[in-house]
Amino acid sequence: MIWSIAWKNVWRNHKRSIIVIAAVLLGTAAGVFTSGLMVGWVDQRISSLVHIEVGHIKLHNPNYLNNEEIGYTLPDSRAVVHYLSSIPAIKGFSPRIKVTSMASTSRGNTALTLQGINVGQEKQVSELYKKLLPGGSFLETTGENPIVISDKTAEQLRIKNYTLTKVALDSLLNLSVPPAVIDRLREFDQVRFNTEKAFTKAVSQRLTSKQVNKYGADIVNVAKHYRLRSKIIVTFTDASGEMVSQSFRVCGIFKTSDLLFDQANAFVRKNELAQLTGLSPDDCQEIGILLHNESDVKATQAAIKHAFPALSVMNWLEISPDAGMLTQYMVFYYYIIMGFILFALAFGIINTMLMAIMERTKELGMLMAIGMSRKRIFYMIMLETIFLTLIGAVLGMAFGWLAITITGHTGLDFSVVGEGFEAMGWSAVVYPSITPDFFFGVTLMVIATGILSSILPARKALSLDPVDAIKTDN
Amino acid sequence: MNVIEIKDLVKIYTNSAAQVTAVDHIDLTIEDGEFTAIVGPSGSGKTTLLNLIGGLDKANQGSILVENSDITRMSAKELIEYRLHNIGFVFQSYNLIPVLTAYENVSFIMELQRAPKPAIERRTKEILTEVGLGDRMNSRPNQLSGGQQQRVAVARAMASKPKFIIADEPTANLDSKSTEKLLEMMETLNQREQVTFLFSTHDQRVMNKAHRIIVLEDGKIVSDTKTKP
Repeated sequence: MIWSIAWKNVWRNHKRSIIVIAAVLLGTAAGVFTSGLMVGWVDQRISSLVHIEVGHIKLHNPNYLNNEEIGYTLPDSRAVVHYLSSIPAIKGFSPRIKVTSMASTSRGNTALTLQGINVGQEKQVSELYKKLLPGGSFLETTGENPIVISDKTAEQLRIKNYTLTKVALDSLLNLSVPPAVIDRLREFDQVRFNTEKAFTKAVSQRLTSKQVNKYGADIVNVAKHYRLRSKIIVTFTDASGEMVSQSFRVCGIFKTSDLLFDQANAFVRKNELAQLTGLSPDDCQEIGILLHNESDVKATQAAIKHAFPALSVMNWLEISPDAGMLTQYMVFYYYIIMGFILFALAFGIINTMLMAIMERTKELGMLMAIGMSRKRIFYMIMLETIFLTLIGAVLGMAFGWLAITITGHTGLDFSVVGEGFEAMGWSAVVYPSITPDFFFGVTLMVIATGILSSILPARKALSLDPVDAIKTDN
Repeated sequence: MNVIEIKDLVKIYTNSAAQVTAVDHIDLTIEDGEFTAIVGPSGSGKTTLLNLIGGLDKANQGSILVENSDITRMSAKELIEYRLHNIGFVFQSYNLIPVLTAYENVSFIMELQRAPKPAIERRTKEILTEVGLGDRMNSRPNQLSGGQQQRVAVARAMASKPKFIIADEPTANLDSKSTEKLLEMMETLNQREQVTFLFSTHDQRVMNKAHRIIVLEDGKIVSDTKTKP
């Protein structure tokens, strides 16, 4: 009966209850969605880190970690490779030669870590080849000394430009850009812009802000032009300490969500780089390893360490402690966000319940008079508060989940500030996601909020003197 | 048999300005099955006396024995149990729970007593039929007239078969027709269920129905008359 009375009491003042429920709904939905956004971001970051940048485990010569000199290759690398081939938990491994270098063209230059890889092995460890822009290849050309660079490096070396050719302008028609907009862009025909910033600035001056918002991304995409087969001169120090300059031809351009990774790395064939640096074909500074299951990381790491005690064997959490911290502590951040939201909402709930108690002073006095115990009165008010909070929270979680499900498919594009995100290694397009256990945790938090919010109103009710309470007008 | 035995009862209210003796050395005995009215002018101590007997207020002096248990010595927790199992209350302004139906308002007190469900259902239907509201069991208080609401309040007070019922000005908010109907019903219940009624009133019609009239003035009993055997 107390449950029934508490439930009915929630609906005594429809308007007031609906306002509180709406506030809890919005707060919870916002909290769930924000958490979903962060989960999506972190998941994408971790996925990019493991499947493109780091892998699960990396092997180095310990000296190489202190001083990235070309001479600090893995000792006995042939035996290591043989051992790794025998571990079933390993999905793939890729030996790499890594050289610090300076890349230059006639228009620009930049520092790069040149990575010499065996394409077949690298594809088993890294999905970087999937991040190649259309038209390029992942070192799978017949010519000598191909190189794969990033979109950012292409921009720095000025082998990427933005040109609105006649073909590009015509292709905009197929993308439903109105002819009037295209006509305004014709004055840029054959004008070459070296950076996206300069191009968008020029386009923005010819179009309205509404047109830029609507068609800007399409215009940038059709204008973007890479000069594949461009020649790049890369200078580095070989194993004997001599400076070596070698020209490479760009065969592919990649773009990941991590700008730092992109602007720091370029990829060439391992055998060609070994020859240029004077290393043997078996030498490498690093072996990247990807496992079938992430749960095997610690055991595999321990096994390798045991077999080759002289090697540095680090897992991805040790290599990127920031990512490790994210996975370990982010769950607390989600709950802290929800905690703050519920804490703020609790004031509204307490206020509403106090009003409800004051309006029912006479009735509470009667209940005390006829023999309803203090415990039951407390329980009744607590249930009312929990119902009020839980209705809003359940609806809020449903709305939050719906928003996450929809945006989880479509993605949320933060391209406007994308470069800032990507500079920190975060994707500009986010696919929010959430796990069911988060909802379980939030439900417990909501119930706890209801219980804590009920303490003050319940104390107020219990402090009533039944004789005085019955005399009041409320 | 005595249901209530009051000895040398004193209740003094103190505020910053003065002390008011609301109940002044009262000795009183209420017997089983009585239909007693406590009358007197405003401020004579009627409600205070009923509150003391009902265990809602604490006396400064004296004792109130209910079937040989002195309720003035009971703790707050014991008083709640005492009220729940021994007293039925009828208030001037009905005090029904607005979100509950007539049936739920009556059965609620038996649920507080943790009575078995079939017994609750049987007794609720029985008592609501007895007060003439068998056809309004599912009505909420706002769907009932003042007289009907007060009858639900009496049914609620009677439902748990208390030792006695305390009614503070039960007819004060009712018109003459409803008052007449309520009084007849209370008298019938008093006789049929042998439950003791103790009520305060200003209403002459209520006094006319009472079997015993106790007159209070300035917290003292100035007359105690049995009007019917």
